[in-house]
Amino acid sequence: MSSGTREMERFSYDDSIVRKFILASVFWGLVAFTLGLMLALQLADYRFNFGLEWLTFGRLRPIHTNAAIFAFVGNGIFAGVYYSLQRLCKARLLNDLLSKIHFYLWQFIIVCAAVSLFAGFSHGKEYAELEWPIDIMITVAWVIFAVNVFGTIFKRREKHLYVAIWFYIATIITVAVLHIVNSLEVPVGLMKSYPIYAGVQDALVQWWYGHNAVAFFLTTPFLGLMYYFIPKAINRPVYSYRLSIIHFWSLVFLYIWAGPHHLLYSSLPDWAQTLGMVFSVMLWAPSWGGMVNGLLTMRGAWDRVRREPVLKFFACAITFYGMSTFEGPLLSIKSVNSLAHFTDWIIGHVHTGTIGWNYFMIVAIFYYLIPKLWKTELYSIKLANWQFWTATLGLIIYIVSMLTAGITQSLMWRAIDGAGKLVYPFFMETVVRILPMYYARAIGGVLILTSFILFIINIYKTIKAGQTDFTEDVFMAPALKTAKIEVESTHRKLEGIPMVFTVLVLIAVLAGSVIEILPSFMSVKFIDKNPNVKPYSPLEIAGRDIYIREGCYTCHSQTIRPLAHEVLRYGKVSGSGEFTYDRPFQWGSRRIGPDLARIGGKYPDMWHFRHMIEPREVTQNSIMPKYPWLTDHKTNYDTLSKKLKVLKSLGVPYADEEITNAKDLAGEQAKKIVGTLVSSGVPETMKDKQIIALIAYLQRLGVDGGKE
Amino acid sequence: MKQQILTRFDIPLLPCIALVLFFLVFLFYIFWILKKENNPLFESQARLPFAEDKIYE
Repeated sequence: MSSGTREMERFSYDDSIVRKFILASVFWGLVAFTLGLMLALQLADYRFNFGLEWLTFGRLRPIHTNAAIFAFVGNGIFAGVYYSLQRLCKARLLNDLLSKIHFYLWQFIIVCAAVSLFAGFSHGKEYAELEWPIDIMITVAWVIFAVNVFGTIFKRREKHLYVAIWFYIATIITVAVLHIVNSLEVPVGLMKSYPIYAGVQDALVQWWYGHNAVAFFLTTPFLGLMYYFIPKAINRPVYSYRLSIIHFWSLVFLYIWAGPHHLLYSSLPDWAQTLGMVFSVMLWAPSWGGMVNGLLTMRGAWDRVRREPVLKFFACAITFYGMSTFEGPLLSIKSVNSLAHFTDWIIGHVHTGTIGWNYFMIVAIFYYLIPKLWKTELYSIKLANWQFWTATLGLIIYIVSMLTAGITQSLMWRAIDGAGKLVYPFFMETVVRILPMYYARAIGGVLILTSFILFIINIYKTIKAGQTDFTEDVFMAPALKTAKIEVESTHRKLEGIPMVFTVLVLIAVLAGSVIEILPSFMSVKFIDKNPNVKPYSPLEIAGRDIYIREGCYTCHSQTIRPLAHEVLRYGKVSGSGEFTYDRPFQWGSRRIGPDLARIGGKYPDMWHFRHMIEPREVTQNSIMPKYPWLTDHKTNYDTLSKKLKVLKSLGVPYADEEITNAKDLAGEQAKKIVGTLVSSGVPETMKDKQIIALIAYLQRLGVDGGKE
Repeated sequence: MKQQILTRFDIPLLPCIALVLFFLVFLFYIFWILKKENNPLFESQARLPFAEDKIYE
């Protein structure tokens, strides 16, 4: 068959893979939302971990974040990308088998991630907690995804790459770079490794990754999906294609620089902090450029927003995106950050994005896709409306309660009286004050989870009423090689050359990355050397690994900012040289409990012993969970030599003798610690238990760096 | 030379000036876009998501 002079080709789309990813996303969404509610309840009342080791906050929180980001949102991205890419390229996905491998491998990774995190195998870096074998599997899955996408692009029948595809390309390239660079680690065993970076350098790389995981996993793919699905749902083209060009390039170029805003007032060099802040503020422009473009695409169709759930969720998602991307730059301004950092305000901000933007976008896209893919009508518009209002109300309660809690607690932290003393010297005073907000957050969480259950009911009923015959429609289009293109602008030409386009995206992304990260490898001035700081002893290393395993960093920070109230409360400001041997760094991002940078020597060993078994015995009203199993589990002394050997290979100056005798040295130190506890009734047999190793580590924190 | 320049120019002003300039350019651009809407130059590209609807066999 021919159309004019062009040869027509017949093809169909692989929608079965889209259906699979949709169902997986919905399933993992339920898991992520349920875990989120459990965490909210645990913060309101610590007993909601039911005394179970694997349900404690420190272990559950990484599972919640990973499930939300990589399982729920990840599967949603793959569904949306695979659906729209085929249609924009007028080509079937490169290979059906590759798509299936991608799908099953990704689900396998999620299961491995959940099991390993429950078991306490954590890398201790936020949103990058998974250990090295899973990291490798993620890399393989991502490469498969990339091959599938680029393979489809190369066999396309449409010369121009639509704006949505640019965002997909940026996502694939950047996430690959971020994941590989941040996951460089040396294995000690099957499920244990140490990062090649330490201290400040590790912090910089981690938050370059962490921030851009938000940017290039939670934002750019959804902007691509927005540019495809909103015009489709509205049935009119994007408001301004010209604006989408400037939106894309400015966003991709600027985003990558913003990572250091997570490290303001830390011991990261000032120039890096300032760069992070300035670029974060500049990000406001492209972000709102995208928001304006999305909202204006809906112009003239606002009456339909009232009637059609798809448009309702899209409109709300873009609005929340606008709020979130206004709040982000605001929080990056140093003075605002000094108030908001380490507080619940950040938690509220994060959920504005993940619930308001990602969840609502996914719902809108799925409500658009499911009736099409199952060839039926949506089961109930009324139910969708109920879902919308329950979710919106839940999210508003969540955001307001977290903002209130964050500002209240931070103002209490920084309150200093006329005599120059802290008005609230006891950390718990500031926690007790915001506890009502934690209950309010849990109510918000119940509403959000309820909305998700309504969503599941609606799509289950829709799918059940839909067709089970998935015969693929046949399409026709001329082959690309015979298509004639009249190029009228440089960018239009660029849109027809995917390789050059991809290289330019890579350059845009690498520019900021190299300028910010490279000096940390090349300059000796990057870290102030502190001669007092010595490597951790073998027992302290064992204790540190327990600290990481239990996710203590999810509630406690380990860095004191140069702010008067922090010095009064915690002690001497943290210097970059103090973290030379910290692999990974453990600065944390939230102070649900107090900072621990100078906890070493502040309390006797017995205080820590009692505190870990029952925190409320030594700190009234504490919301920290109990860790009684630390007195049952034995410390694994046998792996210590290997751990020290790996750390030495990374530059920690351990003597060979120390490595060989690591087990004995640890035993001796444990014996000394138990010696201080025996008089209080602790049996001597406790010396092999994990609680002793943890005490050894805690008692070392900040001791070297605190010396004048 | 370098120090002379530094003493004559308050460095903290740099990011402020850069930001103000950036936002002025951004505002100018947004208003220009809003006025201009979709230039016919990009018409066919903007309509790409709808092309699929026309190629049923």
